[in-house]
Amino acid sequence: MTVTSADSDTATASAPRRLSVLRGVMTLARRSPISAFWGIVAALIVLMSISADVVAPYPPLKSDFRAMQKPPSETHWFGTDQIGRDTLSRVIHGSQTSLTVAIGAVLFGTTLGALWGLACGYFGGRFDMISQRIIEFLQSFPDLILAMAIAMALGGGLGTVIVAIAITRIPFGGRVIRSVVLSLKEMQYVEAARGLGASHVRLMFRHILPQCVAPYLILATTHLGVAIVIEASLGFLGVGIPPPNPTWGNMLADALNAGLVPPWWLVFFPGAAITLTVLAFNLLGDGIRDLLDPKLRGSV
Amino acid sequence: MYSYIARRLAFGGLTVFGVSIIVFVVMRILPGDPLVAIFGPEGMSKLTEAQRAHYMAELGLSDPLWVQYLGWAKSILAGDFGRSFFRSESVAEMIVRRGSLTAEIAILSVILSWIVGIPVAIVSALKPNTAADGVVRFFSILFLAVPGFWVGMLIVLGLLFWFGYRAPMAGASLFADPFDNLQLVVGPALVLGLGQAAYIARMGRSALLEVIREDYVRTARAKGLNSRLVIALHALPNALLPVITLSGVLLGLVLAGSIPVERAFGTPGLGNSMAQAVSERDVFVMQNLVFLYAVVFVLINIAVDVTIALLDPRIRYR
Repeated sequence: MTVTSADSDTATASAPRRLSVLRGVMTLARRSPISAFWGIVAALIVLMSISADVVAPYPPLKSDFRAMQKPPSETHWFGTDQIGRDTLSRVIHGSQTSLTVAIGAVLFGTTLGALWGLACGYFGGRFDMISQRIIEFLQSFPDLILAMAIAMALGGGLGTVIVAIAITRIPFGGRVIRSVVLSLKEMQYVEAARGLGASHVRLMFRHILPQCVAPYLILATTHLGVAIVIEASLGFLGVGIPPPNPTWGNMLADALNAGLVPPWWLVFFPGAAITLTVLAFNLLGDGIRDLLDPKLRGSV
Repeated sequence: MYSYIARRLAFGGLTVFGVSIIVFVVMRILPGDPLVAIFGPEGMSKLTEAQRAHYMAELGLSDPLWVQYLGWAKSILAGDFGRSFFRSESVAEMIVRRGSLTAEIAILSVILSWIVGIPVAIVSALKPNTAADGVVRFFSILFLAVPGFWVGMLIVLGLLFWFGYRAPMAGASLFADPFDNLQLVVGPALVLGLGQAAYIARMGRSALLEVIREDYVRTARAKGLNSRLVIALHALPNALLPVITLSGVLLGLVLAGSIPVERAFGTPGLGNSMAQAVSERDVFVMQNLVFLYAVVFVLINIAVDVTIALLDPRIRYR
């Protein structure tokens, strides 16, 4: 009996769920047009990074020795750097690294943390106690410093940077989801399922996990922005993805090392790209938060 | 109260121990080879097998891990923070000389964040969901998104471009040379302070909104107290508690944030040393500096917790 009812559950649940995502987007657009606008900006940035090879006017690594360190002009909208590489193309390609790292770090770190928090909240006891200590130790480091140390110890590269940032995201996922699970676990519907003989795995993943999706989404969108800033800082400090790969952090570091007076366009555009991207994700996250949890409206 | 402080300190001790383990694991045990970090991948491949073994033994890296850990812990406890591969000055000397500048930047930025953030929080909490509140909210989100080191670079560039001004390069102590010192710290403190002010404003706003709805505030209003006094004397003190806690967390973030920001301004503080150690792959200096920063962060958190307990009896008696 349990098996068939579960199957029919999923069959009937999937159709309205797809509808509700669409409805969610519509509600977001109606209720907070500002968030919807920034959502579109975020989508455009993602689109730009996916199609970087097509959108960028020049190859990001190609030097043009006839146009070195030229200010913005009709041929090079964002100017060129010391060895004649087109800044616009490099900024566009930089978005690829930024987004790959941010999405990778969040998918890996926030998710791992969330699952850990799920297990901590669900099982409690000694496992929870030890886990909470480890999470506290991890949180005793400012994010950037921990990421720097890990990135440096592992040596630069895309995977390393993702791992380094992901590890700094774990405690947050763990904390937030754990507290959600702690209150969910006492709910009657969970007790009812337990009474029916549901296994731990089934209780955790089928009954408790779906309720954690909203806090997870809120956390994940905020973390995207944080991860982008950390990635840029790592690049700026020279422990990110090694040059000549165009990343926004690397470009700023290059500008700083360009001499006593770096040309303004080499400083302005990469940083503006970081700001715009983080802003878009944060405001989108704000909108999602308001939509999913009206109680939290306007809080930190 | 004393038992609370004692408990908090004991807990802090445990945390410092855990932190030291994590630092050790990250810097010594993770797959990255310290020799690769020191010599670079190319230099590493030029070393012979015997040379590698020799360097490993010389650096104490061929001992068992627990011996290495104990040796490290012992030297830290004795105040020996080691020496850079690249400079003659010992790390402890460098921390003393440059740390004060970073501490100044951090403290100044916290003060700035309160001066800017609290009034903004009050304005937007008293008139929630108005245009003014919206503008404040947008700016606080904007400030969260702007990377501090980028703003720092823009400020340096702007000052140089329009005024031909550049802050002095050499370190200057607060007492010997207050004017030069101020020029060094004001830029980074401003950038980091405004970044924090955004968090303070958001947290202050939501805390104040919550407190304003409480009965005792309504009572104060009902007895005819001037509404400014109600906010200043009744609502604000309670609303500031979470802001103080947040400020402690932010102070830790500022210590980290000052690394790229000091680099952008060229400030000769500890953050810049950290940036240098990272770019030179100076493993041992990094290990000690990372540990130092984490310990300072733990101490700040303890100080904040104790302050909150002093201010809020509800926590003290729990």
